[in-house]
Amino acid sequence: MAASVCRVGSTVGRALAKSRSPVLLSLRRGQASVSYAQSLLGAPETQLTALDNGLRVASEDTGHATCTVGLWIGAGSRYENERNNGTGFFLEHMAFKGTKKHTQTALEQQVESMGAHLSAYTSREHTAYYMKTLAKDLPKAVELLSEVVQSCSLNEAEIEQQRGVVLRELEEVESNLQEVCLDLLHATAYQGTPLGQSLGSLCDLVEYINIHYKAPRMVLAAAGGVNHEELVGLAKSHMSGVSFEYEGDVVPVLSPCRFTGSDIRMRDDALPLAHVAIAVEGASASSPDIVPLMVANAVIGSYDLTYGGGKHLSSRLARIAVEDKLCHSFQAFSSSYSDTGLLGIYFVSDKHHIDDMMHWSQNAWMNLCTTVTESDVARGRNALKASLVGQLNGTTPICDEIGRHVLNYGRRVPLAEWNARIDAVTPSVLRDVCSKYIYDKCPAVVGVGPIEQLTDYNRIRSAMYWLRF
Amino acid sequence: MMSTVTRPGVILPYYRATRNTFKSLVFPGAMELFTVAGKAELLIYQCCLSFLFPAPAGTRLAHTDIKIPDFSDYRRPEVLDPRKSSQDSSDTRKAFSYMLTGATAVVGVYAAKTVVTQFVTSMSASADVLALSKIEIKLSDIPEGKNMTFKWRGKPLFVRHRTEKEISTEEAVNIGELRDPQHDKERVINPKWVVVIGVCTHLGCVPIANAGDFGGYYCPCHGSHYDASGRIRRGPAPLNLEVPYYEFLDDNTLVVG
Repeated sequence: MAASVCRVGSTVGRALAKSRSPVLLSLRRGQASVSYAQSLLGAPETQLTALDNGLRVASEDTGHATCTVGLWIGAGSRYENERNNGTGFFLEHMAFKGTKKHTQTALEQQVESMGAHLSAYTSREHTAYYMKTLAKDLPKAVELLSEVVQSCSLNEAEIEQQRGVVLRELEEVESNLQEVCLDLLHATAYQGTPLGQSLGSLCDLVEYINIHYKAPRMVLAAAGGVNHEELVGLAKSHMSGVSFEYEGDVVPVLSPCRFTGSDIRMRDDALPLAHVAIAVEGASASSPDIVPLMVANAVIGSYDLTYGGGKHLSSRLARIAVEDKLCHSFQAFSSSYSDTGLLGIYFVSDKHHIDDMMHWSQNAWMNLCTTVTESDVARGRNALKASLVGQLNGTTPICDEIGRHVLNYGRRVPLAEWNARIDAVTPSVLRDVCSKYIYDKCPAVVGVGPIEQLTDYNRIRSAMYWLRF
Repeated sequence: MMSTVTRPGVILPYYRATRNTFKSLVFPGAMELFTVAGKAELLIYQCCLSFLFPAPAGTRLAHTDIKIPDFSDYRRPEVLDPRKSSQDSSDTRKAFSYMLTGATAVVGVYAAKTVVTQFVTSMSASADVLALSKIEIKLSDIPEGKNMTFKWRGKPLFVRHRTEKEISTEEAVNIGELRDPQHDKERVINPKWVVVIGVCTHLGCVPIANAGDFGGYYCPCHGSHYDASGRIRRGPAPLNLEVPYYEFLDDNTLVVG
């Protein structure tokens, strides 16, 4: 009876809406005029050009009045060895201390007068220098960026001063236990390999620049109200000088990094909360399995105390966490590098619930490998699609994605393609992929804080399979 | 899902190499870094330098000073090289570990079973008791026609060396006449030798050999007559004399029990 009423109602609504009466348009609640997949096909395209020296230029014209333009370089702590570990990070700090053409003050004045923001970051595999500015200031921005990267002046006094700043930043990182925890996770999971390094001693900057800042490993990316041809022209005029040859033909090639199932526990009972992370070796950025793994993470989801859903949250692990007050927050994460990756769960809990939280986290993993249902997978797919779209909220995230994608994949992967790949994930695909990476594998475990209750590694390892299967 | 709407960035970590967003040096505020860090602080940092670079033993100022030890001595050969992915060898390593565990489990179960049975069987009859349960008899000691009595398991055991005449007589007996019908062949292995327990089946007295009307045994208590095969022929006893388990080790040796 109710179903037939609904059917009649929606038919009437559709008929009335077709007549385009504004008052009655609200009756078309359940009907979008264009489907999500169709709307993605109309998204602006990212254009990609390569210069003669190998430098790639990529941009997306979103029509905004502002733009973000930057240089993404395939260099990071992974390319360093023990001797020069930390150079990339330090270099990032040195970059804004003046160039050969402008002193530091002049540089700052140039940037400030445009009303621009000049930023940089380093990660394990990438370094980025980017500027957020008005779309009409694009030429100036590219000029300044190219100067900063190619001819930054490295005088002794500045270097000494920057050491202090770097030290202070390191100290601050210490207080960010999430960073510490995830850093230690990399250190133990990739022990003995370059990916396990974070920051350490500092060394020859000039040598570092010479080795790593080469045109084929650089991408000039821009997003916002930018014209691609204009950008290419600017790149040609400012960045053609970036070298593409290596001295002695020594091209730094990344060798694979060995993952070691291991654990590291930094116990400190004075801290109020325990930060725990458990991860298995995941898929590399270019692997076809990365999408099922992202869906898997979306199925597990995340939670923290500010979530209002209570015990009606859709993620099973979140429901359990709420009902038994097992944790303050958790998130399923996935970090991908060029040939390896980490797939894990990070949670923060008080010292009496660590064991239970670990048990249920691994239970969630086992569920993914064995009995995940169609409704869970559908929910995960939708959540993932929503998040992929949602994180592109501004020219800077878009530009960042362009830069990283071109470095990782050689092109920008469009949302429509992500959509198609996500739709291809079915429960059996998810089960197979998760079993391949999670089931009966040795995880890397990190605990920081009052972790006496953190489960013994042998028991954690035993929970990576189910005897009932 | 509520959580995704409010925190889209949470699933962003797909791309997040864990340390991507450091504090960006935003220029409008950057000047502060140097005015605030006045001379005194710079001095402190320069002192810190000598503490931190290189990190001295015993003082830990940052988590990055923790050096993961080198476990090469304990690693299996397939994972010694840090430049080779460990995924390729993971199946073989696991197979080896599980097979070793499985084999140990089987051996362990077998060992446990052995120990348990040893403890349990220790409660059964001991060797000296078992030794008493068998008797070995030299048949050459018994002349023809003679019956010898042995003590076996607390009861008298009759071993009779029968003559040809006795054998043929017993074999010719009509079974229909017997109270407990048994042909002589059923009661002996070798017709020359009759082995019976010397306990009367009536009330348990010991019959006398070579007595009675049938050339066998006679029980004096109540007058039961047995023949040369130990079968009851006359008298109150209901059954024939019991034939125990026996075997001939060789022509001269009889083992009963």
